[in-house]
Amino acid sequence: MPFQIDGTVRKNRRIQSLYFILGVHCPPIANHIKPGQFIMLKVSEDSSPLLRRPFSVYKNYPENHPEKEKRGCLFIYYKKVGKGTQKMTTLKKGQKLNLIGPLGKGFTLPPLPSSANIILIGGGVGIVSLYPIAEALKNRKLFVFIGGKTQDDILCLEDFKKFNSKISVSTENGSLGYRGTVVDLFSSQRKLFGKNGKYYIYSCGPVAMLKALAGIVKFKNFICQVSLETRMGCGFGACWGCVIKTNHPRTPYQRVCKEGPVFSLKDILWE
Amino acid sequence: MKNCDLTVKIGKMVLKNPVIVSSGTFGFGEEFEDFFDLNQLGAIIPKGISLKPMAGNPPPRIFETEGGLINSIGLQNPGFQEFIKNKLPYYRHLKTHLIINFFGNTQKEYVELARRFDRIPGISGLEMNISCPNIKKGGIVFGVDPQMAFPLVRAVRKATRLTLIVKLSPNVTDIALMAKSAEEGGADALSLVNTFRAMAINIHSKKPELGNIIGGLSGPAIKPIALRMVWEVHQAVKVPIIGIGGIMKAEDAIEFILAGASAIQMGTANLINPRAGIEVIQGIRKYFIQNKIDRIQKLIGAFG
Repeated sequence: MPFQIDGTVRKNRRIQSLYFILGVHCPPIANHIKPGQFIMLKVSEDSSPLLRRPFSVYKNYPENHPEKEKRGCLFIYYKKVGKGTQKMTTLKKGQKLNLIGPLGKGFTLPPLPSSANIILIGGGVGIVSLYPIAEALKNRKLFVFIGGKTQDDILCLEDFKKFNSKISVSTENGSLGYRGTVVDLFSSQRKLFGKNGKYYIYSCGPVAMLKALAGIVKFKNFICQVSLETRMGCGFGACWGCVIKTNHPRTPYQRVCKEGPVFSLKDILWE
Repeated sequence: MKNCDLTVKIGKMVLKNPVIVSSGTFGFGEEFEDFFDLNQLGAIIPKGISLKPMAGNPPPRIFETEGGLINSIGLQNPGFQEFIKNKLPYYRHLKTHLIINFFGNTQKEYVELARRFDRIPGISGLEMNISCPNIKKGGIVFGVDPQMAFPLVRAVRKATRLTLIVKLSPNVTDIALMAKSAEEGGADALSLVNTFRAMAINIHSKKPELGNIIGGLSGPAIKPIALRMVWEVHQAVKVPIIGIGGIMKAEDAIEFILAGASAIQMGTANLINPRAGIEVIQGIRKYFIQNKIDRIQKLIGAFG
């Protein structure tokens, strides 16, 4: 049950290069949002940009959180790329923002067998939506793969160090870690996991990255959930603008905002 | 003045207010129930229905432009049977009008659908789409040629007693001519306009921004053109007009009413602000009170 509601900006700070963190006080959404769900934000009151923009939630603190100043707040990462995110950089503490959320179907996190290998693969700002999974599975050993174009695009590195995690980093220009894409990196290390046991992969990133991932995780012992990023019109299922082609028998084009954003990788038909 | 009268008559339907939500921008209605009570609207028009299911166009399907949105959804819908079985029961308790938007590839399909919907209880009116720009056959050939529109509307008219609205395309040389042929064919009302054929190119990839290359432009960018077309049609026909095109707020809706619209449809606005429809109703009421207008009929076409 999504809410349409005003939130209050609590924090808006540049983290690195073009990346910013926005904190909004919005208890109904902060209380209810689950890993992998997202919000739609009306960035400006005028029609520039016209549509809302989707953002996955990085951290959320319910109203009963022990740290008083964080109660009822949610935090998103954004990259300054267009006029919408440019306007977002000017948001000041105390300003009101209209939000819709929680939206979509998030990650399914079943109790995993102890033999399971848990792998998180994030490309660019996509890694942010995997952070809530790490929080939810914090007692487990995690294999985390973080990729970006350059070292400026490697996010949340310190966050994942808090967990029992083995972190591998790739950059396309080789400025940090492995030179290549994060899928190349994962592929190069796959042997390390051995042939036995199941692999639970949670991934988020651009469509091209997930398509490449689909090419290398074809085996039955890979259980792969991916969160998709597509252009969205409304975010709540009304316009059918954000679809992805799937193996669904009756309705091949499924809505990323409603049936997703998280899909089982094997259900997606890449075009 | 508190009891200003917003009711309007469109064919056999008496709407409690002139605000209708437009087909294709309101899903099947249920997507909005978390945000407000649908019964407050004058009428709702769910996503357009065809005889057979339609998969829709390949993505990307939408692209935002200055003050506008280009879409090429491609009329994706579950088809008549699925709609009746899985979607229609949702409207059983609706206390506002349900208008069904439909379209076909041939005159036979239009007539068949009209006949089938005519027998189903709970439906107040039919809006026939002869104007979607996203499908080669789906309507547009009928919607740009008055000589084809007239016999089509006449045939559909014979197939239903429900209020029949014809949704017109703006992608024509003379929209008043199209409007007249739809009126002569037996339409009870006309809704205008659908989206404007449009496209966008990514200069970096040198590829189209939409999978279908061409889509339809909606949103505030088209409002002044849509308004002009409503006025032109208002001068040409006697049947009520439902104005559509970039209406985001009450002021926009009032402008359309002044230009000759008896009711209006909200489209793109629903996607941005799901409560846009009811905010417009409140805004119209406020305008009526401030300007001491007791009946909407006094405002229709009253500019100049």
